[in-house]
Amino acid sequence: MADAPKLSLVLMSPDMEKIHAGALMGSIAAASGMEVNFFVTMDALKMFLKDTVSKMDFKLGEVGSKLMEKNVDPFYKMIEDAKEMGELKVYACSLVVDVMGWKKEDMLDIVDDIVGVTAFFGMAEGGQIMVL
Amino acid sequence: MSDLAQVDKTVDARGSYCPGPLMELIKTVKAASVGQVIEVLSSDQGSAKDIPEWVKKVGHELIYNEKAQDGDYWRIAVKKVK
Repeated sequence: MADAPKLSLVLMSPDMEKIHAGALMGSIAAASGMEVNFFVTMDALKMFLKDTVSKMDFKLGEVGSKLMEKNVDPFYKMIEDAKEMGELKVYACSLVVDVMGWKKEDMLDIVDDIVGVTAFFGMAEGGQIMVL
Repeated sequence: MSDLAQVDKTVDARGSYCPGPLMELIKTVKAASVGQVIEVLSSDQGSAKDIPEWVKKVGHELIYNEKAQDGDYWRIAVKKVK
């Protein structure tokens, strides 16, 4: 898959709608044969903590609330499923992890690694980058 | 008109929201053998446009894509060609 088209998604916002949309687009891209990398940074990373998910402590707007109410597969389930269907990786921003004092094990198992922007740019090079 | 006789497997994804039906279809196609025809039933309004686009992108063959006569859903069949 070395020559597969690449899509990189930068998740910055903690808004459930943005994370859900990103997870949805990334999942479909991976399932369609693209190499997908998520770079999760700033307040978006808090939504990838096991603690946040177990407490369902999400930042919900109108659509986000409806997604929950109608039991639409949540973003972490979509990402987990997509990992089985294609090439999809999730990276946590090392700056945020460091300043917040979090550890790899505090994050959901779908998070593959903790990297900085330089490593992320290396992965993203030559592909499309979307920021949400 | 769909020729149901040639369908090897039907995935009933009615009631599942976007991209559920597409994802169910992709999973099933991956597990199928080359030459098999998979049909998906979907009530998601995007599927009739989204599934043919995925089929084209990954290079399978769309057999039919039609609104069911007995309800508000779509029947879409895909042949795995590689």
